[in-house]
Amino acid sequence: MSRLALLLLIPLLACARDEGTVLTISGSTLGKEGQLLRRQIDRFRQANPAIEVRIQETPDDATQRHQLYVQWLNAHVGTPDVLQLDVIWTAEFAAAGWILPLDQFRPDVRDFFPATIDANRWRGRLYALPWFVDVGMLYRRTDQVAAPPRSIEEIDRTFVWQGARYEGLVTVFLEFLGAYGGHVMADDGRVTVSSAAGVRALTLMRDLIRRGITPREALTWHEEECRFAFQNGRATYMRNWPYAVEAMNGSAVAGRFAVSPMPAAPGGRPTAALGGAPLAINAWSEHPDAAYDLIAFLTAPEQMEERLAMVGQYPSRMSLYDESSDVRPIIEAATPRPVTPIYAELSDQLQIWLHRALAGEVEPRVALDQAARAMQRLVDEAGLR
Amino acid sequence: MNDRRLAWLFVTPALATIALIAIFPLGWTVWESLHRHDLRMPWLGKPFIGLGHYIDIVSDPRFWGAMNHTLFFTIASVSLELLFGLFLALAMNRAFRGRGAVRAAILVPWAIPTVVAALLWRFLFTAHGGATWFTDARLAWIPVIVADVWKTTPFVALLLLAGLQNIPDDLREAAAVDGATRFAQLRHVVLPLLRPAILVALIFRTLDAFRVFDLVYVLTGGGPGTATEPIALYTFNTLFQNLRSGYAAALSVVVFAVTFAIAIVYIRVLDPKELS
Repeated sequence: MSRLALLLLIPLLACARDEGTVLTISGSTLGKEGQLLRRQIDRFRQANPAIEVRIQETPDDATQRHQLYVQWLNAHVGTPDVLQLDVIWTAEFAAAGWILPLDQFRPDVRDFFPATIDANRWRGRLYALPWFVDVGMLYRRTDQVAAPPRSIEEIDRTFVWQGARYEGLVTVFLEFLGAYGGHVMADDGRVTVSSAAGVRALTLMRDLIRRGITPREALTWHEEECRFAFQNGRATYMRNWPYAVEAMNGSAVAGRFAVSPMPAAPGGRPTAALGGAPLAINAWSEHPDAAYDLIAFLTAPEQMEERLAMVGQYPSRMSLYDESSDVRPIIEAATPRPVTPIYAELSDQLQIWLHRALAGEVEPRVALDQAARAMQRLVDEAGLR
Repeated sequence: MNDRRLAWLFVTPALATIALIAIFPLGWTVWESLHRHDLRMPWLGKPFIGLGHYIDIVSDPRFWGAMNHTLFFTIASVSLELLFGLFLALAMNRAFRGRGAVRAAILVPWAIPTVVAALLWRFLFTAHGGATWFTDARLAWIPVIVADVWKTTPFVALLLLAGLQNIPDDLREAAAVDGATRFAQLRHVVLPLLRPAILVALIFRTLDAFRVFDLVYVLTGGGPGTATEPIALYTFNTLFQNLRSGYAAALSVVVFAVTFAIAIVYIRVLDPKELS
C-alpha cells in the first residue's frame, strides 16, 4: 500500500519542481534553421534567466504541421505557447479563437512591411508578428538573357514554376493573375477569380505548357524540383521563393543568375505572392506575457539579420534593407493571399481546378467558373459574406 | 434453460468486445455524419443537420468522380490480378526442381510494404518517360494499376495454388484419357473445381481494392486534378486536409455501406459449402 502512495506522490513532486516559467515554441527545427533557432533561444535565456524555453518538434511539411496545430488547439492544449504559423493560417486560427490578439502587448509595427502586418490581421486586430518574409520572384540566367522581361507574355525561353497540385501552384497563379490586374476575392467576400483577367492568366500558364516553354513535368513540381531544373541548366527562367538564392550560390549557376519581380502583363502590375511565417501566442498558454517577450525577441532586428545571413530568410523589417536592395521593391509590391479563415479550403478547390486546366482536362474559363462557384459556396456556408 | 443462460454468459465478453471495437466506432461515425462539424470553423458549433451531408454527397461531383475512379481501379486491377495469378498458380502447381524456392520468391512483392512499393514504382516510372505519366488524366492510371497488380498478384496466385492442390490429379488424368485437350481440361475440369478459391480471392481483392489509399497517395496524390482520386483518398483529404469532420464521417459511412453491400453480394453468390 505504501508503494502505491509513493507512486501517487511522484506526479505531485514533479509539479512542485516546475515552478519557473516554461515556454514551449514549435517551428522549423531542421538543419540550419534548427541550429539558428537554438542559438537565438540560448541568447534569450541568458537575458531572461527566469524563463525556460523548450522547442517542440513539429513536422516540417506545412499541411502536417497545420493538422497537428488544429488537433492541439481544438483540444485547448496550452502548449506550445508560441506557434510558428504559415501566414495563410493566421485568419483561420484568429477566427477560431485559438491565438491571442497581440494589440494588448502594444507591439510597434511601424518598421514591418505593411502587407506583412495586414496579412496577420483579422477583423481589425493583429494576431501574429511576421518572423520572416517570402515572396515569389523571377530568377533568370544572366548569361542567357541580359534584362528581365518587360511583360510576362514576352517570356519565350524555358520557364519553370511550381505546377504540382498544392499551395505553391496557387501562389504562382496569384502572380500571373495580378500581372493581368485580377484578384481572387473582393473585400466583401465575393469570389472574383473567374474574371477576364483570371481567364487570361490561366490561359497563359496553360499555353506556356502547350508551347513547351514550361515542361509538362512541371505539373508535378514543387520548389525544389524547379530549383534543380534551373541550377542544372535546364531553364532560363524560374519562379521561386528567395531561399533559392542562397541555395544556388554553391551550384553550377552561381554568379550567373539574378532576380527581379515577376513581370506584369497588359492591364496589371508586377505581383509577388506574399508568404512567410509569423509567430503567434496560443490562446490557452499559461504564460502569454513571457510568450510575447519571446516573440518580440525573435522578431527583433538582430535576430532577423542573423536569420538572413544564416538561412537566407528575408527580414520583415524595412529598416534592414538598404536602398540598393533588389528584394525590397519586390516585397513592397507583394500581395497577400485572401485573408480568410477558410483560406485552405478555398485554396484546395482552386488547386484542383487550376491543375485540371493546366493538364488540359478543361478549358481555363470553365475551370475558373467551376472553382469560383465551389469557392463562393464555401464562403457563403461559412457565413463570411 | 440454465445451460442456455450460461452459454450467453460465456459469449458476453466476446460480444461486448465486438460491440466496443466494431459497433461503437461505427455508431459514433454515423452520429458524427449527422452533424455539421468543421474543425476549422468552431464558431459554427456542431449543429445537427440530419441527412444534410448525405444530400450534399449525392450532388457532389468530386464524390461521384471518386466512386467512378474506385470502381474502375477495382475492376481493372482485380481482373488482371486474377488472370496473372491463375497463370502463376498453374505454373507453380507443376512439379519442377526448386519449386519451393520459386514459391517463396514469388511472395517478395507481397511482403514489401505498400508505401515502399509505391515509391519504387514512382521512381521507375519517373525514370522512364519522366513526369508525363503523372500529368495526364488517363496515363496516370497506368502506374497505379501496374504497381497494384505487381504487388498483389502473388497473393492471388498463392490462394489459387492452394485451391489447385485440392484438385485430385486423377480427375484431369481421366479427362485426358477421354481425349480432352489441355485447354479443355483446364476449362471443364480445373476451373469449375477452382471456383471456391477464385471466389475467396475475389472477395479479398475487391474489398481491398475498393479501399485503396496508400498506393495512390504516394504515386499520384490523386492527380492530375482529381483524376485518380479514389474514395478513400477523398475521405482522407476531407478529414485531414480540410478538417470537415462531419462530412468526412458521412463519406466513410457511404464507403462502409458500399463495401458491406459488396461483401453481402459475394456471400450470397458463394455457396457456404463451397467456402469450407
